[in-house]
Amino acid sequence: MRMIKDLPELLQAGVITQDTADRIQTYYDNKPSGSTNRLFVIFGVLGAILVGLGVILIVAHNWDELARSTQTLLAFLPLLIGQVFCGFTLLKKPESVAWREGTAAFLFFAVGASISLVSQIYHIPGDLSSFIFVWMLLCFPLVYVMKSSMVSLLYLIGITYYAAETGYWAFPRIEFESYLYWALLLAVLPHYYLLYKQKPKSNFMTFHHWFIPLSVVMVLGTVADQTEELMFIAYFNLFGLLYLIGNSSFFTQQKARNNGYRILGSLGTIALLLGLSFDAFWEDLRRGGLQFNEAVATPEFALVLVTTLLAGWLFYMRHKHKPLDEIQPLSSVFILFLLTFALGLFLPYAAVLINLYVLAIGILIVREGARKDHLGILNYGLLIITALVICRFFDTDLSFVIRGILFVSVGVGFFAANYRMLKRRKANE
Amino acid sequence: MNSKITAFIAFVLVVLVQLYVPAKMIWDREDILETGTEFKFQTAPIDPSDPFRGKYITLDFDEPILTVASGQEWENGESIYVTLEVDSKGFARVKAPIKTPPIGSDPFLKVEVDYAWKDDSTKVSMRIDYPFDRYYMEESKAYEAEVTYREARRDTSKVTYALVSVKDGKAVLKDVMINGIPIREVVKANREREEE
Repeated sequence: MRMIKDLPELLQAGVITQDTADRIQTYYDNKPSGSTNRLFVIFGVLGAILVGLGVILIVAHNWDELARSTQTLLAFLPLLIGQVFCGFTLLKKPESVAWREGTAAFLFFAVGASISLVSQIYHIPGDLSSFIFVWMLLCFPLVYVMKSSMVSLLYLIGITYYAAETGYWAFPRIEFESYLYWALLLAVLPHYYLLYKQKPKSNFMTFHHWFIPLSVVMVLGTVADQTEELMFIAYFNLFGLLYLIGNSSFFTQQKARNNGYRILGSLGTIALLLGLSFDAFWEDLRRGGLQFNEAVATPEFALVLVTTLLAGWLFYMRHKHKPLDEIQPLSSVFILFLLTFALGLFLPYAAVLINLYVLAIGILIVREGARKDHLGILNYGLLIITALVICRFFDTDLSFVIRGILFVSVGVGFFAANYRMLKRRKANE
Repeated sequence: MNSKITAFIAFVLVVLVQLYVPAKMIWDREDILETGTEFKFQTAPIDPSDPFRGKYITLDFDEPILTVASGQEWENGESIYVTLEVDSKGFARVKAPIKTPPIGSDPFLKVEVDYAWKDDSTKVSMRIDYPFDRYYMEESKAYEAEVTYREARRDTSKVTYALVSVKDGKAVLKDVMINGIPIREVVKANREREEE
């Protein structure tokens, strides 16, 4: 508490009176100390996770010298310990976040240890995905019963892994099970909403702002089956949706680094655009990769429909009362891309359009940075343009002279823009 | 206070489910081990590992290719049933695949179609996957078990097989044997011999 340490100095210098000093002192004495509490939570949870993971590793050793009956009894030991701790917390310390999160996190791993022991003893085959599925289902209620955000985060990791295991890595793709992810994700959203209502500024909330969009971004691709081209539209829609969510008033009031939605939406959109600024994808598309009547019946098409509606609806809600020039350049890319995609099916100019979009977005972001006097935004815009130029560097059909001039002009742009802004700042000081 | 009681009741329910699931897993397997029929399946183990459940050896069976008259669709990954019998050497042999559990007292097993193909217009062949392909072992032993197995295979006088208990279509892997001795014991005996 630096303020209290400085009190005698401030008193001596005559900055504050004795009365003010006393009032400051009592204010800090009576203030519930949030920081120690937060430390308790962090260490409690970290400790529980480490112990829990340790138990799983010890279990994985496989103590096959013990009799089967002893092993079976041991299988319940970590589970019972975890449950007793959680029960104790619910009865005696229901208000303590550290106790709730710590014991629930331990029980989460204890459940995993327990079913993995049973799997070992009876050599239950089942791949990793079915094991994780049972584990997540058994632990999911803890999110609500123990009101544990930590279990919610661990659960999000678990179901993401499950979706990847069934959707990406399994061969043949296990269709039904890879869709289960979405139901599992829905189940945890009420907790997210409660967090938003009750503790919108907490660290756990911030982690959820990152984990949930990240998980969806990672899993969306599991829907892809045969018509992968459509997945680009779906991903543009998703990134547009995330970006729009991240630009809502709730998020813009928070620190930029807590806004997983906006950062993921923005980076994702730019990365996809850069990837598609090469003609390779469009060449495939024109060669007849996509038959409309076949494509309509695919899960990818349904996904495109759903994401377009969601993102479109949010876009409409956000912009219906605003003038056109207030539209954030990145939030409308998904609409532009949809049109470009349709165009790209027939005409060879799609890649050129994409290049123009990236350039325009870069310039608009630079302008926004200049307006807001924000070096970070300004340089983000410049970086986008640089990335575009680097991408073109690899296109061998551009002449060296043109590429050289592009590089020089972007480099000069970097200097000029930063120099001008810094100079203006100095002049204002 | 009231909400505390509701929360605790909910918690107790969660506890019961968390206890019930592993207990049920154990109970089902114990039942198969106690009252099921034992079979020997000839096999070939190797040793991978699972991040949560530890080291195991994968059993690679000499799965038979089953051939049936065409007429029915057999999809890859589909669950089907096979009845089991014992051949003259004492090993399990699967009989023709069927789509529904067989009626009668013959032991049968639920398996998966690994891969089915058409031989000609009258016949369909398929390879099947047994529902027991992992044998979990203590971490240091799994690799040695693999080595021991490979040596045993070079020696044609040795036979490796999985001892499996079967009941109502379900199976529990009891042990992996080399010449009638559990692979765990073989690894231990090898270690003792090396120490001497």
